[in-house]
Amino acid sequence: MIYLDNSATTRPFDGVIEAMDRCMRETYFNASAAYGPALSVEREIGECRRAVAAQVGASPEEVIFTSGGTEGDNLAVIGVAMTLRRPSNFAVLATEHPAVAETVRRVEKMGHEVRVLPVDGRGIADLAACEALLSERTALVSCMQVSNETGAIQPIERLAAMARAKNPEVRVHVDGVQGFMRVPMHMARMGVDLYTISGHKIHGPKGVGALVVRKGVRLAPQMTGGGQERALRSGTYNSPAIVGLRAAVREMASRREDVEAMRAMKVHLCELLADEDYVHVNGPLPAQEDSAPHILSLSFEGVRGEVLRNALEGEGILVSTGSACASHKQKVSASLKAMGLSGERADGAIRVSLGLFNTMEEMDELSRKLIRLCATLRQYRRR
Amino acid sequence: MREILLVRYGEVFLKGQNRPFFMRKLIDHVKLAVSGVGGRVWMSEGRIYVSDFSDLDECIRRVTKVFGVHSVSPAVEMEKGDFEAICRQAVQMMRPLSGTFKVLARRSDKRYPLDSPAIMREAGGYILSELPNLRVDVNNPDHVLTIEIRDHAYLSVRREMAVGGMPMGTNGKACLLLSGGIDSPVAGYMIAKRGVELCCVHYHSFPYTSERAREKVLELARLLSEYCGKMRVYVVPFTEIQMQIHQKCPENYTTLIMRRYMMRIAQILAQKEGAQALITGESIGQVASQTMEALGCTDEVADMPVFRPCIGMDKSEIIERAERIGTFETSSLPYEDCCTVFTPKHPATHPRKELIAKAELALDGEALIAAAVAGAEAVNVG
Repeated sequence: MIYLDNSATTRPFDGVIEAMDRCMRETYFNASAAYGPALSVEREIGECRRAVAAQVGASPEEVIFTSGGTEGDNLAVIGVAMTLRRPSNFAVLATEHPAVAETVRRVEKMGHEVRVLPVDGRGIADLAACEALLSERTALVSCMQVSNETGAIQPIERLAAMARAKNPEVRVHVDGVQGFMRVPMHMARMGVDLYTISGHKIHGPKGVGALVVRKGVRLAPQMTGGGQERALRSGTYNSPAIVGLRAAVREMASRREDVEAMRAMKVHLCELLADEDYVHVNGPLPAQEDSAPHILSLSFEGVRGEVLRNALEGEGILVSTGSACASHKQKVSASLKAMGLSGERADGAIRVSLGLFNTMEEMDELSRKLIRLCATLRQYRRR
Repeated sequence: MREILLVRYGEVFLKGQNRPFFMRKLIDHVKLAVSGVGGRVWMSEGRIYVSDFSDLDECIRRVTKVFGVHSVSPAVEMEKGDFEAICRQAVQMMRPLSGTFKVLARRSDKRYPLDSPAIMREAGGYILSELPNLRVDVNNPDHVLTIEIRDHAYLSVRREMAVGGMPMGTNGKACLLLSGGIDSPVAGYMIAKRGVELCCVHYHSFPYTSERAREKVLELARLLSEYCGKMRVYVVPFTEIQMQIHQKCPENYTTLIMRRYMMRIAQILAQKEGAQALITGESIGQVASQTMEALGCTDEVADMPVFRPCIGMDKSEIIERAERIGTFETSSLPYEDCCTVFTPKHPATHPRKELIAKAELALDGEALIAAAVAGAEAVNVG
């Protein structure tokens, strides 16, 4: 089996599994307890905090552990909305993940306005159009770091500066679920106030993530109780998962060159398909600077993405159509439509997303099989 | 004293000389249904009882799904000697209720000191004196407390309607064309309800339909098997046939020719399973392949009867039925099924049989059918 759906989730590193196993067998104590053994758990959690903070240009106490990306996005968006005293507007990118896009609809019900920031044909925020939509009443800008469907890297720094010029009090939230540790992030330098990450997209465990909250940013907690995480996120520490996250962050950090190797694979795959005139890249081209190293969206003229996905599965290759969250709803991807792609092109899209376990040889096999399958499938286009 | 379940059966009592056969089947199915909750099934004086179950509600859920069962009542079985104790038990059962009631008594033990009218009178009076918020209404009561005096006394106040129909396996076997849509499970259910055993055929068009579409169909079969027991589902590879039709036949006839191939293959598998008829979920005029002429064209290739129990139903009626039997939600999952893959833009609604026959000459029908039948995967469900 060749697994190429790493943006849906990744296989955990062995070191992650071992760390979690040890934590559940030996250091299973409640990190908040007063006795000695619990202290060692607390220390390990602190190490994870430091490891995450070091990756994003933040300080350890700014890291709030959550259950994952969706919770981080919710805490950032609703948490900011609940501190507001007057009607404001929330500006979100057109291609946001549902964890943000659906959440701002709740903000709308609270009496605020939602403004959708458009993207261009490559899926990158259209800054000129964004500028017109931002105002002194913009309370929050939420923009994903890397688009989950196309791998487009968003111009976060410029968008943040633009929003701050209109309203110095604005909060900038970045959903870094697809970007964290694959595309650089420095919150202080880039003007980011809130940054959401998830563990299972970087070969860590599911059910853990973090929202990094810069000092001075006021948030209303969405989970109240025992007062953990500076009372911003109550609940017993999910220590096995946090320990697993630490192991994942450490291994990712020590394998920077492997992250770049993913880009080489992506470029290689595109080269192998270059002669097939029915293949189109959706979003930035692999070699371009604003293309993330690990996500590639491809459309095949005359073949529905779903059919190609099924056929690849039959050949032992797992990819997704659109994003995994949307693919069993059988709707044409909203992100691809927001880029202005035709219905047929969006319907023909599959997403190949790489992880650190993938190899160059797998790209060769994928391209061979794609070309062979398309030769057959393209004969039977829907009339 | 213990809690038991009294099971009433429906149409079986109409049977004459072969009634024992029907009863035996019915009891077998009730036994099978309650085996998961450890229930013991027994007959006495023409009634079926279930006792010794671990979970009453689950037992009711299961027994009310057995074809041939008309209704069930949870009842308390107790010694009949102490009439006062019976009355006390009646009060306890009526206590949570409000509104109007009546007592219905039946006495098959004719040596019992009180006759039926006396039991009703005495028990009713006792209940009224203990529970003054209840009133008696003999014509249209909210609740009926039944007291039966047999070898023991049986008290019940609650009645749950069951599915009705005839015991499974008393009326032969038929083969259901199961697509994954809303209609075909309903059609299968309606025929199975008449005591007909089922097997299913599903056409799978990989890669045009996914693993999930296949799983969805097997789940539908499993939901049906809660009523009709274990069954076999044949998953037939259908892509090659669809592609050949798509390539070689006139576009407006592709759907009908496909339907005809489905019938032919289903018939072969039906014969292999010992089934005597085919079942489809078609309804007149619902889609182009279900106009009367189109149905005539698909019927033409079948040598066995084709049952279409949804034929006169509106979509809304079919949906309502699907919701009741519990298949609607699964049917509504959005995985593409094989019927929609190669849909032509303008299918023939008034097809001519001779044109179809001519169009089919372009295909090597025998070889296609033989390959599909040989490639069919048999999955046991339930």
